[in-house]
Amino acid sequence: MNLVAVGISFRSASVDLRERIAFTEPKRDQASGDLASRYGCEAAVLSTCNRVELYLARPEGEALPDANLLAEFLGEYHSIAPSDIRPHLIEKRDAEGVRHLFRVAASLDSLIVGEGQIAGQVKTTFEAARAVGSSGPFLNALYQHAQKTAKRVRTDTGISKGHVSVSSVAVDYVRQVFDHFGEKTILVIGAGKMGRLTLKHLQELKPKKILVTNRSPEKALAVAAECGGSAVSWESLDDALIQADIVLSTTGATEQVVSEKRYSSIRSKRHGRTAVILDIAVPRDFDPAIHDGETTFVFNIDDLKGIREQTLARRRTHIERAESIVEDECKRFLDEWGRRKNGQLIARLTQEFEAKRREVIEPLLGRLNGKLTEKERQEIEGAFRLYQNKLLHGPITALGEATRDGNGPALLEAVRRLFRLE
Amino acid sequence: MGITIACFGLSYLTALGLELARQARPVRSLRIASLVFGMAGLFAQTIFLIYHQPNPAIAFGSLVLLAWVLAVFYLYGAVHYRTQAWGLFVLPVVVLLVGLSFVFQGDSEVMGDWFSANHFWGSVHGMLLLAAAVGITVGFLASVMYLVQARRLRMKRSPLGGLRLLSLERLEAMNRRAINLAFPMLTVGLLLGFMRLPAVGDANAGWTAAKVLGTLGLWVVALVLLYLRYGAHVPPRRLAILTFAAFALMLVTLVAAHPFATVEGTR
Repeated sequence: MNLVAVGISFRSASVDLRERIAFTEPKRDQASGDLASRYGCEAAVLSTCNRVELYLARPEGEALPDANLLAEFLGEYHSIAPSDIRPHLIEKRDAEGVRHLFRVAASLDSLIVGEGQIAGQVKTTFEAARAVGSSGPFLNALYQHAQKTAKRVRTDTGISKGHVSVSSVAVDYVRQVFDHFGEKTILVIGAGKMGRLTLKHLQELKPKKILVTNRSPEKALAVAAECGGSAVSWESLDDALIQADIVLSTTGATEQVVSEKRYSSIRSKRHGRTAVILDIAVPRDFDPAIHDGETTFVFNIDDLKGIREQTLARRRTHIERAESIVEDECKRFLDEWGRRKNGQLIARLTQEFEAKRREVIEPLLGRLNGKLTEKERQEIEGAFRLYQNKLLHGPITALGEATRDGNGPALLEAVRRLFRLE
Repeated sequence: MGITIACFGLSYLTALGLELARQARPVRSLRIASLVFGMAGLFAQTIFLIYHQPNPAIAFGSLVLLAWVLAVFYLYGAVHYRTQAWGLFVLPVVVLLVGLSFVFQGDSEVMGDWFSANHFWGSVHGMLLLAAAVGITVGFLASVMYLVQARRLRMKRSPLGGLRLLSLERLEAMNRRAINLAFPMLTVGLLLGFMRLPAVGDANAGWTAAKVLGTLGLWVVALVLLYLRYGAHVPPRRLAILTFAAFALMLVTLVAAHPFATVEGTR
């Protein structure tokens, strides 16, 4: 195996550099092809908002470009001085490179551990490399195993459980309170960006009605048109709050919109119906004292972020197990690849030993012809075969171990020369 | 017949232990093992009921029959809501009822007489009250789960932490339906019982029997629950707490001596 993985990530470079160095899809495919033809190797380019990594592989014994050369390549592609890129590049070779890709695919090296997007991005990268013809047997096998590792980490650990985006956490909370949404009314107050994203998630619950209110009637109409709801006037806010089961508040108001006193008169008109208020505005639109945990549940941005932190903390408890899966799969891949690569040499070595054994045993059996019973003849043949296998056992095991330890090429060469397998 | 109360009681207890272990380590094998023990317990209890035919008019019979219905309820929930902590709530009640039935095991009356053509209305009365008891127990279980879930939401905890439960709305609906169904059965069962009371040897003693008074009290509590829900729109959390009282009163009523059973048992 001869692999190099060179790149930058959120750990080594600022967002500014990551943005400048990122590849669009066509540019990524072009870069994969250029790398492959320029350096005569297999190549794939992984480009996401958090990382840009180049994966290059070549048959053993042939040198691969190093980080300096690849900094020049990246600089040339993005018109940036290589010296601006080089200090941020991280270089991983051979087994380290394999481990790195497996960790990336399993989302262990992500900004948000356990996020699900990266596995898809790795898939797209290597499928694109295959489509442009820049990947070969090694990168294809490596990618297949990376996918397998990511899947195993996802299913065998709880690392990807729970949502971490504020809008998804908000919807999770609503789902813990309500079950049937076909008869629920959602009230949207304001038109903030985060609110629209959360509303998109809430819309997936297929509520009966969406009401939208805003200090600006035009904005209310625009949001209502966007989400298929009805606009209600700002003056009717209290009536809308009486109707609503789920409230999404996201105004830009500098002062509280609904005080505890104002809501208590609304509450008395709701006949004990449960309400969930998602107050994701900063500063908060609803007085936190409205949350009584009985019929009214208020979740503000801090609560939602707190839950997100709890989810992330739970995910972190699975990292150790996930790392051990990566280690296990890394070893398995190296063994499998080693066996595949050493297979040809081992076959030749076995053929050579087989031929030598016949050269010795056939004249001997010829000389003893007629003096041996069939059973004795078989025993002699069996003993020679056993001797041959015992002799072969040492070199074959050593080749496997050397491949795993990264000393494969030297030992392969030694075996070739020792047994004259040229 | 070698099957005893201990056989299925211990099976349910083991299933409960496995459910507890599953909370600490949520692996599939523990869930399956818990289900297997639950099913084994239910199977053994079914054989036991067929063989012994306990009289539902006496404490032992009513408790063991109620436990059987709840064991079915447990298995239904455990299969249907596989990710929820269903067993952790239902199994303790099943184990409690089996334990209580073990305590009241001494009575050896059989159901044959109770179900004979002569006592058709008596058996209808018994079955209705048993069904009402199932309703109140299910209402109680939904209430416990509701309060746990409501507390978690009140404290704003992550949905991943602690026990996984159904939504508040679903639990509230479960409680509401259980009480709504229990009330008419309790009413008709109670009326049938009152109609049969004059047939009891000492009618005055029958009216003041603990079981009769307890059932009457239970009916009043169920009525109050319905009024508070539909008339006063009391929040579900407070109704859940009142359902606890109904369940406690029901347990007391179940273990109290039955005036019919005493008379019929001596025939």
